[in-house]
Amino acid sequence: MNCKDFENTIHELVSRRLAGTTKQLEALEHAGHCLWCALRLDEETRLTEKLQAFAGALQLQRAPARVEEELLRAFRERNAAESAALLGIGGKRLRQGLRWGLAFAATVAAAWIMIFLWPHFHSGASDHPDRAANRRPPAASEPSRTNLAPVTRAAGPARAALKGATPQAAYAWTLERTALGESASELPADFISLGTCDDYLCMDEATLVRVSLPAEALLAFGLGTGNDYSPEGSVQADVVLGSDGVPFAIRFVD
Amino acid sequence: MMQAGDEDAFTALYRRRQGGIYRFVLEMSGSAPLAEDVTQEVFMALIRDNLGFDPARGSLAAYMFGMARHHALRFLKRDKTYVSIPQTWDGSGGGVELAPADDPQSALSRRETIHSVRQAILSLPEHYREAVVLCDLNEMSYEDTASVLGCSVGTVRSRLHRGRALLVQKLGVKVETGNEAVNPSRCLA
Repeated sequence: MNCKDFENTIHELVSRRLAGTTKQLEALEHAGHCLWCALRLDEETRLTEKLQAFAGALQLQRAPARVEEELLRAFRERNAAESAALLGIGGKRLRQGLRWGLAFAATVAAAWIMIFLWPHFHSGASDHPDRAANRRPPAASEPSRTNLAPVTRAAGPARAALKGATPQAAYAWTLERTALGESASELPADFISLGTCDDYLCMDEATLVRVSLPAEALLAFGLGTGNDYSPEGSVQADVVLGSDGVPFAIRFVD
Repeated sequence: MMQAGDEDAFTALYRRRQGGIYRFVLEMSGSAPLAEDVTQEVFMALIRDNLGFDPARGSLAAYMFGMARHHALRFLKRDKTYVSIPQTWDGSGGGVELAPADDPQSALSRRETIHSVRQAILSLPEHYREAVVLCDLNEMSYEDTASVLGCSVGTVRSRLHRGRALLVQKLGVKVETGNEAVNPSRCLA
């Protein structure tokens, strides 16, 4: 090591940054035989001692406690502000979510009403004359409140008379009369209510069935008093059955 | 943890680092009020800016000392009077307590030494003063000092060498041989 190298490493040497290294040994060896570098080392060592004394004197220096208090207060305020901001964003999102949720629920409810409840409301509302007018026009073969004769007292015997009926065909309520096998010569009478259904609520699911009944069944409805009545014969009748098989109305076909 | 709002983590960080930062500014400026202001400002910046510290660019200490330096220089440029308040940290009742000494004479000697060193440091040009304060008084590595000052390690060493040379002259520690016969020549080749 020459004097230039020594000068370059002198600060590291006096600040003990070279402690335990070969460079330290080389530097000290150089100072041992170079008077100039030995003097420089002495200068730097004395300066370092003064600086270290100065640094040591200030070692206890700290910021006053009020600084920590101020900072902690600021830290808490900032955290509170951040929490409030997060809560605000969360609340806004929650409100938006609730709005969308309510809208979705309302849509589902409306759809459910349309699908499941509307037919009942619709049929129930048919009692209203205007709504009844808007409903499908009753076919000539359809029973209506007007042509369902109030023969409730005859309903019991009539149902009993229907017990022996044999279904000839079952058709949907909306079938045309010709689909029931009615011929042009047939003269259907009005439907006679059997007293098991007083409104259209039970008629919506009804089925019209052509049956063949003993002629004496006419007697149960106060019919069959004509001259052409023969108790041994049979008569054709259209019976309106509910979805549960309960007959609602009947009409006899001549 | 501090970023997550952990008050204990922030308190621990403050208590670990505030002394060094406070002393750095005190040594740089000679003003305890400025050191207090800058220390508070550095940690307030940490609170405000969510600790925008990048470990790839240096140590946390270097980052915080860099902020302290920035704030200190800004204060010093704005108000030069900060440097000219010697009574605030010379141990003569300015609110700064120095480490205790064993006897009155050594205490006096020590006080004189401290006063002279303080004056010598404050008289250094700013860029030399920074290097001396960080490397010698705060025992910071050349690399961290370079990170704080935003310069190369070579520049730090150069500034430190020049700053110390000025301190040697100012503090009178230069060895006078007193004998012209002793005229050592250096082997700088």
